[in-house]
Amino acid sequence: MANGTWKIARNRSSAQLPLAVFAVLAIVVVLIGKAQSSLFDDARTKLSDWTSPLLKAVNAPVEGVSRWVGSIGEIFSVYNENLKLKEENARLRQWQSAALVLDDRVKRYQLLLNAVPDPTLTTVTARVIGRSSKPFLETMILDAGKKQSVKPGQAVLDARGMIGRIFLAGDRTSWVILLTDLNSRIPVVIQPGNIQAMIAGDNSGAPTVETLAQWATLKPGMQVLTSGDGGLIPPGLPIGSLAADGDRFRVALLADASTADDVQIVDFKTPPNQPPAVTKKDLPATAAGLEPLAPPSDVPSTQTLPPPILNNPMLNKPALNNTNAVNTASPGTKPAQQNPPAGQKLVTGPQPNTAKTNTGPKPTLNPKDKPSDQTPGEVE
Amino acid sequence: MSGFFAALVPFTFGVLGVFLANIPISLSGGHIPAPLLALMPVYFWCLVRPDLMPPAAAFALGLMEDIFSGGPAGVWTLSFVAAYAVVDRQRDTFAGLSGLGAILGFAAAMLIASSTAYVVVAIYYSHLPPLAPLIVQIAVTILFYIPAAAILNRVHRRIVGPLRSDF
Repeated sequence: MANGTWKIARNRSSAQLPLAVFAVLAIVVVLIGKAQSSLFDDARTKLSDWTSPLLKAVNAPVEGVSRWVGSIGEIFSVYNENLKLKEENARLRQWQSAALVLDDRVKRYQLLLNAVPDPTLTTVTARVIGRSSKPFLETMILDAGKKQSVKPGQAVLDARGMIGRIFLAGDRTSWVILLTDLNSRIPVVIQPGNIQAMIAGDNSGAPTVETLAQWATLKPGMQVLTSGDGGLIPPGLPIGSLAADGDRFRVALLADASTADDVQIVDFKTPPNQPPAVTKKDLPATAAGLEPLAPPSDVPSTQTLPPPILNNPMLNKPALNNTNAVNTASPGTKPAQQNPPAGQKLVTGPQPNTAKTNTGPKPTLNPKDKPSDQTPGEVE
Repeated sequence: MSGFFAALVPFTFGVLGVFLANIPISLSGGHIPAPLLALMPVYFWCLVRPDLMPPAAAFALGLMEDIFSGGPAGVWTLSFVAAYAVVDRQRDTFAGLSGLGAILGFAAAMLIASSTAYVVVAIYYSHLPPLAPLIVQIAVTILFYIPAAAILNRVHRRIVGPLRSDF
């Protein structure tokens, strides 16, 4: 343009710091951003909180115009589109009735099996007030934040499927990292076959499938759902279907982040895992495949009983006497329950009364050695 | 307009560029990345009035771009400083360009900034990001520079003006 017409100003301010200093400062900013990104994240969330009313006001007409412009081309295909949708609607109604029947059946089976019920999900519905497409970031901004219990990591869905997850939460706004973003990694399961995998965004329209097992065989059209690994995202959320892309597979997403107006933020909490009760199988020697040593038979039982314990008045309580009885009934340093006869296995099910199970020399046995009216896992 | 306010115009245009480019509203439905508007005043006034667009201003605008864009921190800060450094060293070459050459001059600056950003992001995430979105952004930014340069020229002539010593 007209750069050549301007005289170049050569005299600079003497107070100007050399470029090298700012280059070093810029590198320091990169390192700080890498080491402690929360500084920048806080600034971003505060910024979006402050500007959210303005964004809402500006976004509505822009979205309207954008939708109107986008729909111009669709006017010419309305008739054919309508026929296609009617046909698809009829087919989906059939599938809906089939799904309702199957859903009812699954619930009955779960009841019969006394299965752990699926965790209940709570959702927050939020409006998209901004979306941004940068070379290194695909994001959208929602008008719900910490005040609405939105937290980083939660899944975001539109009416069709998963869009992404929250990565920054301000007081009144939150930022969503889309599934197509460069930094998005979601554990998924591919059906049928229950194939575990990861999908990774690369800023293209469809994330790639990664971290597959070697035995896994993929086919276009297979369904991709969240696996729930990691505990932040609930399992079973629909994501999309597989599509071949050369020698690898991509996921054609069900959700469309560019047209989504209202989304749901899923709050999902897995119950804290309780460690199982320690059983005989957890003993290091048993776990290593070594049977515990049998107690020496020629040693008199009285030698194993420490006299001070027997004489201790604190041990005269019934429960502790039972423990004492274990020691007397089974010579050696280990209780009788830990030494079942050869060929018999201990049942590692729930033991409601430890004192009772420890009283007799008879260990809790495998169901095949029990009376027939006892169900597996029960103890006497 | 007084000299003080005129001196603020280049940086103000840079800030305006950061705001406009990072309004999270996309007319293209997110398919086309927003142009890097803040680099235009940095390039333009780095050539014609470097006293009003010092390295500190390029650094500050890059930092603002980083905060507003939501990407990895420091990427555009370093990119703006790198582009500024190259333009500053080759000022005679760049300032002598006109017409299509001036556009190509800005394209070179944009290429330097984008390449720096690409390398930093690749190091940041330990893997190569896709090139396609960056190429689209470079193309869109260069296209936007054609009308933007005319506006900046006009603003410079009417408001900022050359240095007193250049008369």
